[in-house]
Amino acid sequence: MTRAPGPVSALQAALTAEHAAVYGYGVVGAHLAGGRQDRATSDWVAHQQARDTLEAMLQARGATPVAAAVAYRLPVQVRNPAQAASLAVLLEERITTAYLGLVAVDTPAVRTLGAQQVQASALRAAYWRGSTVAFPGLPASALATRRRSGS
Amino acid sequence: MAANPTRRVVLAAAALLPLAAASGCGSVDVLATPPSEGPAVRLLRSAIAAEQTMIAHYGTVLRGAHGGGADLTAELEPLLAEHRAHLAQLQSRLVIPAGSAASTQPSPSPSGRAATAPAVPTAPAAAVAFLKNAEQAAATALLTRLVTAPASLAQLFASISASEATHVPVLDVVASRAGRAG
Repeated sequence: MTRAPGPVSALQAALTAEHAAVYGYGVVGAHLAGGRQDRATSDWVAHQQARDTLEAMLQARGATPVAAAVAYRLPVQVRNPAQAASLAVLLEERITTAYLGLVAVDTPAVRTLGAQQVQASALRAAYWRGSTVAFPGLPASALATRRRSGS
Repeated sequence: MAANPTRRVVLAAAALLPLAAASGCGSVDVLATPPSEGPAVRLLRSAIAAEQTMIAHYGTVLRGAHGGGADLTAELEPLLAEHRAHLAQLQSRLVIPAGSAASTQPSPSPSGRAATAPAVPTAPAAAVAFLKNAEQAAATALLTRLVTAPASLAQLFASISASEATHVPVLDVVASRAGRAG
């Protein structure tokens, strides 16, 4: 029989994404100035806090939190402010999807944290993207449309 | 199926496969703990009713804004389109057999707001602020609904909740612009 996703594996996946975001926002902020750099800094702090929360939740479950890598291969080259914003969007979209993994966990505290972080990361992504999306974090494959047979 | 034979509405089983945690964790599914259909259908129906209410609010504001001379269409239409996508996705998770009574009935347990909804303000800035508050309330309500939902429905609710939360700062900007224009 298959099992519901365990909290530990979902928490580790989210932590992995947070480690990457903490690294990535360092790059994002380095290419911005003024108010947008301030925004990148506050987002960077938010990811550090989220990372700490996940590590504490894992430790409370007797698990060893995954460690950050020394460096990460960035999904896009960053040489100017527009590319920095694009990187922030990509980082946030990955984070959103990772936290949707927590939402699938049956433990209410884990699920609620996941849903709150899905909101928070979607808000940050919308800021950097400059627009909103209908289904933050959900891949197209999760949105297969089906017509109601009654209409 | 042991389901009540009079129940004409079931969750679309194929749509219930949850999204696996995407960041490298292995196969994830929740097939061992199928949801009981009754509560899940009620949650889905209340979410559908909430989206229908929101879409109606946008329609009211857009009609009023046209009449008032402050055309907010360009700013509100993209948000409204996302709500229509939410509604379509939520409705796609209910299977309603052709000709069944359920297909024409209104939701039996809507959030209650439809009946008691306050009137949408007519002044553009106030109308947009009304939408902003409605978005925030809807996003928060979904956070509550998803706690007891089956995993895949909870993920859809979380994503829609996040989308609605991102509408709030957009509407904040539109409201202050409409306030200056008016």
